[in-house]
Amino acid sequence: MSTTTAGLAARSLRHRPRAAIATFLAAALGTVLTGSFATLLQTSFTTSGDDAETLFVLGAVVGGWGAAIVLFSIASTVGLTTAQRMEEMALLRTLGATPAQVRRLVLAEATAIALVGAVLGAAVALLTGPLLFDLLSGELVGAEVDYAGGIAATTAAGLGVLIVAVLAAAIAARRATSGPALLTLRESRAETGRLPWWRVVIGVALVGYGVAMGIVTVTVTADDPDPYAAMSTSGSSSILVGVGLAVLAPTLLRWGAAPALLLGRRSSSLHLASYNTVRRARTLSAVLAPVIVLTSAAVGTLMLVAIDARTLPAGTPEAGTITLLNNVVVGMLALFAAIMVVNAFVASLAHRRGELQRLRLLGATPEQVRGTVLAEAAIVAVVGIVAGTLGSLATVVPFAVARDEGVVPDGSLWLPPVVLLAVVGLTVLAARTAVGPAARSVVAGEAR
Amino acid sequence: MRPTDPTPALEVRGLSRTYGAGPTAVTALADLDLAFARGTFTAVMGPSGSGKSTFLACAAGLDRPTTGAVLLEGHDLVTDDEGARTRRRRDRIGFVFQSFHLLPYLTAAQNVGLPVRLAGARPDRARVDRLLTEVGLGDRAQHLPGDLSGGQQQRVALARALVTDPAVLLADEPTGALDSRTAQQILTLLRRSVDGLGQTVVMVTHDPVAASYADEVVFLVDGRLVGRMPQPTVDAVASQLAHLDQLVA
Repeated sequence: MSTTTAGLAARSLRHRPRAAIATFLAAALGTVLTGSFATLLQTSFTTSGDDAETLFVLGAVVGGWGAAIVLFSIASTVGLTTAQRMEEMALLRTLGATPAQVRRLVLAEATAIALVGAVLGAAVALLTGPLLFDLLSGELVGAEVDYAGGIAATTAAGLGVLIVAVLAAAIAARRATSGPALLTLRESRAETGRLPWWRVVIGVALVGYGVAMGIVTVTVTADDPDPYAAMSTSGSSSILVGVGLAVLAPTLLRWGAAPALLLGRRSSSLHLASYNTVRRARTLSAVLAPVIVLTSAAVGTLMLVAIDARTLPAGTPEAGTITLLNNVVVGMLALFAAIMVVNAFVASLAHRRGELQRLRLLGATPEQVRGTVLAEAAIVAVVGIVAGTLGSLATVVPFAVARDEGVVPDGSLWLPPVVLLAVVGLTVLAARTAVGPAARSVVAGEAR
Repeated sequence: MRPTDPTPALEVRGLSRTYGAGPTAVTALADLDLAFARGTFTAVMGPSGSGKSTFLACAAGLDRPTTGAVLLEGHDLVTDDEGARTRRRRDRIGFVFQSFHLLPYLTAAQNVGLPVRLAGARPDRARVDRLLTEVGLGDRAQHLPGDLSGGQQQRVALARALVTDPAVLLADEPTGALDSRTAQQILTLLRRSVDGLGQTVVMVTHDPVAASYADEVVFLVDGRLVGRMPQPTVDAVASQLAHLDQLVA
């Protein structure tokens, strides 16, 4: 890498701290989460018998699902912050930078930020790994088993995060630098509206796999003598389908905003919000994606735990631990997804400051600007919880059927609305916090 | 539009604007008095740093003067709070920016109707169509800004500035980003809005050709009014610009 590129990258980073923070946070938190589970996996290698298997399953399977969400979130955050730099990349190209130079610049930045995040995250995971192990020790795993996780596991997690971040930046940068330089300088070329075929394939495959696991649960594992067989086939379905739907988020957003287009005739904020949502679905889908995953994983897993607690005969020694473990997993993932929602909103709005200021120049009051962003958040939240609830059904329905509760679980029906309310609240609050400075900003800056 | 009303469409009195404080303070405007009668086209000229953009920002309610009054149809904008000023600006001032400032995710027609929407009303589709036709873009109503050329985008911005039938249309280097031919189209449209609709136009420019479309040119230097030129021609404006220092002396 040339020193010019590195110097430019460093200066550009200082210029856009918010986008950098978004990527950094995603990488760091993602590494903490996956790294903690990776230490379980590493411990399983030095253990034998049932304990080894339990640790392996926890580390590889549970950690694996966590990793899927984490990697997806990182890809979507990095993709967002890279795509937002279209204008800057086009400018560099009109000044004579080759597409390869521009891509190197973007990659250098993404790598630098993700590296710092991953290293820090891996260090923290060295501390959270033992904590997670302590939770299991003496419960799911024999007390005599020693924690043997270490730097190898957390480094591997960090490396995975780093690779995904760099890959996501590479894909986004390639998309942004394809075509002639001048064309890309045009502000926001109308989105084609169609997802690339590979995204459709991945999304449909994930949703299909999740649904298939649900069918397996109802038809096969429901009759298994081991009560946890049904859980092992249906437990991850909500996460799978959730991630699958999140991959298809831009299309969902376009469909979901259609009713808002009609309602938008009544309010200027909703009018602007709905058109921005439809015509910039891809940008906003970076916010929608974690909302879907959060809703789907949280509702699915919490309902799973509730059904399990109701239907399993009391006194099973494992029950309490499994409930605890499920709650820990869902708690960690929910926390991660919640941070990603805020993260994505801040990152996407930081980039739109100029546009929001433009609205102020055209005579929008601060309330109208704030209203527009909040309306967007509301559209995202509604589409997110509808898609997320659908995703959670992939776990809830098969598992409820398998435990003979029927299609609708017998209890805890208050749970989904509470989660949904929390998700909507979080989304709107994130938008409100993020828009504050943009709506207030002094208009005079422009005309001076 | 009341041609018989003697109140100027826009008037500034004792307008001063200072940036910063203490020894590093910069005076952009110093006690400026200017009035723009209804149905006139005025060009504001001066070297860079002369305060012409600051003047326009203050006149538009985008910036608060340090002292002085900005009278829009006799009503002082300076004493309004930010919300009231924003509403008055939205309803009574049309603004054309050098960099167009269209919203990229709205079509040309939606961009034109935006000020009306922001005012809480439904844009009159016929009026939007008529304005777009007047600026020669009747067939581009459903295009997004990204699909339009610079000149076309500025014409959309011009239609947008006219949609509320404002008391005054302010233009900040409206042709600064355009080639001379498309610039000519914009200037002709501005001229036509004055002659045909009785619009009041105040345009900041550094281009003698643009200024020659105006009824009068006012020259600013160091935030002060240093000269006026009625019925400007390109040559007269250019030579006056070349000798602005004599006006100051």
